[in-house]
Amino acid sequence: MTREQIMDVIKKNIVANIDDIDGATIDPKKSMKDYGANSLDMIEVVSTTMRELKIKVPRSELTDINNIEQLADKFMEYANKENG
Amino acid sequence: MADKALSFSLADFFFNDSPDVLTPPSDYLAWIQHPKIQAAMHFFGQQFLTAPRAEAEVLNASEGAPRKVINMTSYNYLGLSSHPEVIQAAKDALDRYGLGASGAPLLSGTFDLHVEFARRLAEFKQKEDCLLYSSGLGGNVGAMQGLLRKGDVLILDERCHKSLIDGGTLSGAKMLFFSHNDPSSLQAMLEKSKGKRVLIGMEGVYSMDGDLARLPEILELAEHYKAATYLDEAHSTLMFGKNGRGVAEHFGVEERIGVSFGTFSKSFGGVGGFVCSNAAIINYLKGYSSPWNFSCSPSPPVVAGLMKALEIATRDSTLRDKLWANTAYLRKGLLDLKLNLGQSESQVIPIIIGASGEKLMHFAAEIQKRGLFLQPVDFPAVPAESRRFRISVSSQFTKDLMDRALTIIEDVIAKGLRG
Repeated sequence: MTREQIMDVIKKNIVANIDDIDGATIDPKKSMKDYGANSLDMIEVVSTTMRELKIKVPRSELTDINNIEQLADKFMEYANKENG
Repeated sequence: MADKALSFSLADFFFNDSPDVLTPPSDYLAWIQHPKIQAAMHFFGQQFLTAPRAEAEVLNASEGAPRKVINMTSYNYLGLSSHPEVIQAAKDALDRYGLGASGAPLLSGTFDLHVEFARRLAEFKQKEDCLLYSSGLGGNVGAMQGLLRKGDVLILDERCHKSLIDGGTLSGAKMLFFSHNDPSSLQAMLEKSKGKRVLIGMEGVYSMDGDLARLPEILELAEHYKAATYLDEAHSTLMFGKNGRGVAEHFGVEERIGVSFGTFSKSFGGVGGFVCSNAAIINYLKGYSSPWNFSCSPSPPVVAGLMKALEIATRDSTLRDKLWANTAYLRKGLLDLKLNLGQSESQVIPIIIGASGEKLMHFAAEIQKRGLFLQPVDFPAVPAESRRFRISVSSQFTKDLMDRALTIIEDVIAKGLRG
């Protein structure tokens, strides 16, 4: 799985779970919070994405993540681990 | 998973990825049965064999046998759950009315006791009217569900209780969370929500930290942005304020609070919840708050006991004076041990251990072995970097009991943290 594919899944789930957002304008350097997400919305995005990617990252490893890009990197790390 | 069990928590299994609804997530059972997780879980659900007094008997999970403990975990802040007058009032009502109300409030579940108690509570909280709920959680869920609709905005302090969040979810309102007790964060949320109907939810005393809502600043913002306010006084009613009416009385802002919520399971010593506000909105809620109108009314003996508890706690300040004297004594003892008590300003006193779950569980096992019943509070209930114990001070504590507890805390926690 490529990083672009992972980013596409994250973006798709952001659009599905956060009100009033256009997928094309999502800046990966920003946090979901910047787009009006609350903590429950973020859990929804993270969980649905992990389910789709068939990976499981402990929440304790997600606490230091500050933006969408870092989330994709973390998922990439696990996708490689679980596939390799 | 096996070697990383402790880095996972219940938060990781919320989304069930099993194809069958009746099967938990594939790795959940492996996790929950892992010896380290089992060791942590065995603290929870330990059985009390007596009333939750300051000294109680618990079926100890490690030993599988009853043992006497110093109980610093129950919410029996004023000792009212087993006050002789409360017990007598409940017994009398049991003889007269039986065990249950046998009906929802609108049809057949409203007794003279419910009407009288709701009237007294409204008067106590200086609001026009009051609804009684069989569950405290139900009261918060039901109020949010009844007050808010899709298109509205609920702005909650990020440390608010799950019942407020669940109620918000059920209502369909958009939920925003402001940084704990931070007026500038709240202001940013209010700016974003301009033009919408907004309710701000906060707690009088925060249940895991023991600090107070910064009501004067929050209310100023609420009034500026014309947002309604909801104050959960679960851990402050009967304790704060000159007359025990809560943190709103403590700050002198009662008339500026839109909805005042409280529970009966903490200082009242029973079970249930209540919502006080203006008469018109309380009347409206009766039609749209399911935990009220689709639930059986509170049990009559419980209501009679609660009404007596209200009377005892408000006829003079004896119990709360004792509570605050005990809180001051214990707090000083803990600070002398150089423990981190966070921002606590109340009878809820956290002892913050830090990020190590293993240390937390080790201390918990040791103090319970020594006869101090203090429960570990782990992530995700609190942030992962500030795992803790939480003391619930009670007016029932004696100096001797607190000294014995402080010795155990010193031997196990203070010394354990130092080295």
